[in-house]
Amino acid sequence: MNPQSEPSSDQFSGRLGLIFATIGAAIGTGNIWRFPRMVGANGGGSFLVPWLIFLFLWSVPLIIAEFALGKRSRTGTVGTFRIFAGPKFAWMGLWTAWISTAIGFYYAVVTGWCINYFQTAIRGGLTQEVDTTDVWNNFLQEPSQVIFFQIIAILITMAAIWKGAKAIEKANVYLMTSLFVLLFTALFLAFVMDFEDGTLDGFVFMFSIQPEYLLEPETWINGLSQSAWSCSAGMGMAITYSVYMRKDEDTTLNAATMCLANNSISIIAGLTVMMAVFAVVEDPLSAVGGGSSAITFLVLPEVFAKAPGGPAVQLLMVTIFFLALSFAALTSMISTVELCVRNFVDHGVDRSKAVGFTSAAIFLFGLPSAAIWIMVDDSTGVAFPQFLEVQDHIWGYGLMFSGLFIAYSIWKYGWSRYRSWQNENDLEGFDMGDYVENGVSAFRDDFVNTGDNDWWIGRWWDAIMYIGFPAMFAVLMLSYFGDLLANVHDPWDPTNPHGISIILLFWGVTAIIFVSLNKYVLINRMIPTTDSPWPLYVLTGDYELEPRPVYRNVPEGAEAPIDMLPGGDDPFVVGAGESLPESFVDEYGEKRSHTMASVDAILNE
Amino acid sequence: MPKEAIIGPGNPILRARRIPLIAMLLPLLLSLLAPATLIAPVGAQDADPGYAPEDIWSEEYAFQIFPWGPHGDFEQLQFREYHDYFSMKERMQTLAAYYPDFLQYHEGLLGGVNARGDEMTSDDYKGWYYNHPSPWMKITGNVQGGDYNEFNDDDGNYADRPDVMLVGNHHAREWMSYEVPMFFLETVAYYYGKAGIDNDGDGLIDEDGWDGIDNDGDCLLLNATNQDSNGDGILCGPGDLGVDEDFSEQFITDMVNTREIYLIPMLNVDGNRYDREEFCGPTAWENCYRSGWRKNLRDNTVTGVTPIPDIDEEVDEGCDGVDLNRNYQFEWGAPLGATGPLFPGMCYADGPNNDVYNGPVNYEDNDGDGLVNEDHVDGKDDDADGQIDEDWMGGNSEPETKFIQDMTEMNDDDGDGASDFKVTLTWHSFSELVLWPWGHCTNCYTPDDEYLVYHGNMMGEMTDYAPMQSSELYPTTGDFCDWHYGVHNSYCYTIEIGNAFHELPEDIAHIAVRNLGVPFYMVEIADDPRYRAIVGIENTTATQWLEDPRNVTVPAEGDIPIGLCLDKAFPFTPDVNRTHLMWRFVEPNRQQNDFGPTEWIDVAWSMTPFMELGEQCILLDGSNGTMLESHIPLPDTSVGKIQYKAMLGTINGAFPFTYPTVDEGGNYYELAIPYRASFGSSILAVMMFLVIASFVWGGLGLTLRAMFDDERGVIGLPED
Repeated sequence: MNPQSEPSSDQFSGRLGLIFATIGAAIGTGNIWRFPRMVGANGGGSFLVPWLIFLFLWSVPLIIAEFALGKRSRTGTVGTFRIFAGPKFAWMGLWTAWISTAIGFYYAVVTGWCINYFQTAIRGGLTQEVDTTDVWNNFLQEPSQVIFFQIIAILITMAAIWKGAKAIEKANVYLMTSLFVLLFTALFLAFVMDFEDGTLDGFVFMFSIQPEYLLEPETWINGLSQSAWSCSAGMGMAITYSVYMRKDEDTTLNAATMCLANNSISIIAGLTVMMAVFAVVEDPLSAVGGGSSAITFLVLPEVFAKAPGGPAVQLLMVTIFFLALSFAALTSMISTVELCVRNFVDHGVDRSKAVGFTSAAIFLFGLPSAAIWIMVDDSTGVAFPQFLEVQDHIWGYGLMFSGLFIAYSIWKYGWSRYRSWQNENDLEGFDMGDYVENGVSAFRDDFVNTGDNDWWIGRWWDAIMYIGFPAMFAVLMLSYFGDLLANVHDPWDPTNPHGISIILLFWGVTAIIFVSLNKYVLINRMIPTTDSPWPLYVLTGDYELEPRPVYRNVPEGAEAPIDMLPGGDDPFVVGAGESLPESFVDEYGEKRSHTMASVDAILNE
Repeated sequence: MPKEAIIGPGNPILRARRIPLIAMLLPLLLSLLAPATLIAPVGAQDADPGYAPEDIWSEEYAFQIFPWGPHGDFEQLQFREYHDYFSMKERMQTLAAYYPDFLQYHEGLLGGVNARGDEMTSDDYKGWYYNHPSPWMKITGNVQGGDYNEFNDDDGNYADRPDVMLVGNHHAREWMSYEVPMFFLETVAYYYGKAGIDNDGDGLIDEDGWDGIDNDGDCLLLNATNQDSNGDGILCGPGDLGVDEDFSEQFITDMVNTREIYLIPMLNVDGNRYDREEFCGPTAWENCYRSGWRKNLRDNTVTGVTPIPDIDEEVDEGCDGVDLNRNYQFEWGAPLGATGPLFPGMCYADGPNNDVYNGPVNYEDNDGDGLVNEDHVDGKDDDADGQIDEDWMGGNSEPETKFIQDMTEMNDDDGDGASDFKVTLTWHSFSELVLWPWGHCTNCYTPDDEYLVYHGNMMGEMTDYAPMQSSELYPTTGDFCDWHYGVHNSYCYTIEIGNAFHELPEDIAHIAVRNLGVPFYMVEIADDPRYRAIVGIENTTATQWLEDPRNVTVPAEGDIPIGLCLDKAFPFTPDVNRTHLMWRFVEPNRQQNDFGPTEWIDVAWSMTPFMELGEQCILLDGSNGTMLESHIPLPDTSVGKIQYKAMLGTINGAFPFTYPTVDEGGNYYELAIPYRASFGSSILAVMMFLVIASFVWGGLGLTLRAMFDDERGVIGLPED
């Protein structure tokens, strides 16, 4: 254990740096392969309506909340929940971090696929002559290759975050700028392709509203889920990156900018894919209706291989596309790893160590996704990674809870402020008007509209966080489980990798572990009282608890009070470089000295 | 116009042509593969589109010269002229004398105590007026051997040979109904014991048996005018030259050797003579083409001694006669469906002749219990006295019907107390129909309906006659078949030959040819018609098919038609609950997993009915089937796949026969459905694009501007 000895804190160089980093996190493969499928499956332009509406109902408000939380707490997810939701709820932060990291385990593998396809493309391995199914199957069924590119993806990610915020910013600026250029080039080529036959049917389909789809609840649910996933809202990514905000950073307009930028890329990527597919494939909607990765790795190489302008243009197109895809995946990977690393750094782990440790974990726990249970779909003969798919199945919707926890923190803060307002005014009972005036809007007044923003947030935000969000959460969850119930055989069989039981089992076990770890690991440390090694002393009970310190990353001049927060008056929540209190009062009311009180003492350990 | 649209449901005419064209081309293609002997006489290289009959076949066959003779009237032997009672009888006797091994000629019955305990004499079977007993032929191998039946007075009774009764001319004016049996008799007589005959002289042997199909495709080689030699409007159909022209003689021999055939070509001799000699005259087709004398010659007028008429008395055309085919006892005169008066008893003074008069009421106390008519013949114990059908109210009053009844009931070679006739056939004319019981009730079905339907369909296919249950045509009571099936559980069929009572003489031959397969079919199934039907139905199920996804044409818009080719003999029920297309539209789950194979929505099966198109299709064995079609309603915007299978039920409730069959792989077909609707309007799309772009990109620009515009205040900040 080594608390940060340097007083300096890490921050982005400027507003654009933050924007690029958050956009990089938001834009991922989902924009490129999930969005076009959603457009195809939900009636083209009809899908864009809910998609756009939920951008403002879900993504933007949630990102605003995340920015507000992170900017004030100046810690990663665990510290943020410890401060905002109270020490008892630090596990919520762990959940948020875990979901992101668990996704990261296999996302590194997926990023590896993208990189592999880029290198295959540039070497001329995706021309018109090759059978894309063969290419895909040969690659996926060769674990050494998949693992190799997984390692490449992890190494690039490590390199980008090793040095902290400035490096992350730089990597994102380069990757995102390139991504824009690449995607615009691809869009232009796809436009030419689609226009070759005189019609822009891909474009027309994507922007034609089919009214019957607007009447189907499924279209709206899919619009919501696409909005929720695409911007990474609720994932904790914005909390993490807002740790590096400058002191007077805007938290509201940035959220809107980031989400709009994300959706802009979605449209460009979606249009590229749709126009290209419609130009070449006979039954385009069937082609884009299948699994997402199938479109990307099976259909698109074929499509691009038929681009007009000869082999050179075709090579350019397919290379550009997979390079853009790789960049999109990498920037998301960066935010995923950083989210995890940040939590370690908050608790005093050296950054390089944390990066190394996290990367190793992502590599190791990603190995099964890369190498085992590689199945072949009977009906199509296409290989797919069953283990990876199951991971995605289990953790994908866990993300929703992270969002719920964020909302919970806000509700909790609002309620406590209402109670204290009542105390101040000697009021009793519950009055809705007072509650709305003094409780519901408290978080917004105190943490969102801080005066640094270019966009003042009105009461609508409260309404979304208090009513809209839980409602949308419930709809998403119910529809997801309803869908599983309706379409999965034996959804309650816990051994069914596509069932409901397996999800609830993993969620339940994870939540139970996290909740029980809360007291012993997250907010306290276990100090052995015997010489027995870990985990013996844990099992025998020969340990004492002392508070675990959290080191906030507060840039100079950005100090803001957090005492009014449930976990804010904890003396062991300190700024980076600050010294810890020498003693604490334990649960028996005895005053005890803290083992980490003296930096020197620790260093000498 | 895209291809789909041309043959879509919107163009029924064009659509209708599709299958028959294939039907016509397929045998043609097959025939080209046939041995060169078929092609050699006409020159395979010849580009001429068609040939004259004599180019393909022997002169005899081409001009329909039958090989039998020579004794007798040439025109009658060649079925260019009608036989009359006397020439027919003479020909029967000649044949019996010539072929004593398997033909034995009889007239009426000898008599004795019949099954009901009545003492009968041979006179009881003679017609009222002209006093002829009905002539008949016993046909079986070694007809002189076997047991002698004292009542029926015939030899050649073998307990192990199934018996079949074939009866013509119940109705006097229906002349084809005894010519067809005579043609059958000539065929049997001539070909029995022979084998390997090339009937049509094309060098092939037994290549085209009775099934109504031009199996060897030779008819199709003819030029178009000759393809419809019988002029019924159907090219190369039953009765046309080249169709069913080369049957197996061995089959005929086998049938004669293993069955006892009771052929009664002219039951109603009295009526027939009267029709020919008095009522219409010998050239009845000229003045009585579709009219004539129908009944027998019972004296219904009150002037004479009733029921025995005064033989000196002239026939009263306004009053006399009984419709023999309403005079059988089963449900005789029952109100439902009775087409004649219930108890006329005698001629009405001013009423018209009732052509379907069913005979006098029987006021006898048949069982001597003091009650009259208390237990009608219907297979039930109406008076609950433990005896069934013992005191009838009428029927069986005529010499001709008594003859049929006694011959049936006294023919019990195996001594089991039941009639040996498991299969019976009666010829009538006209209307080109194949009918089976019941006749006496509507919307009622025999327990054997499915099997009766099957055989009926088979014979319908053979002749291109319309198969139906008798009462579907019109209800009748007391007919031959209701009695045979109802009382003796015999599979009984009525064939309505041709299109007139008195067909033109030049039509006799080809109509007879067209109907020749039917009696042989009946003879064949006489061993166990029920089992034959079961096996037959089972076989048809193997040749039927549901349209394969590769052959389904998904129309550019609207419902998707799926065809089902059924054997015409398959007794399917039109009830949608048992005959229908099961289908479900499977589309990709909209909430796809990003990394796995495509996930499909699990939906329940839907059901749509099959409708008959009136089109032909080719069964898996190459024969013609009936096309059914079911329409899957699907919006044009749907993308995914349709899984479908056909479920078939039979009339008697066998269910389901599913297609595709297990042999064909999975238990349903899968048809990919592309997006068929318009992708949208370009103008609206551009407008929508502008809206979305201004929201997203415009919004992005706005936020970026606000971001770098330090002068500007905070967006949305309230005034206070």
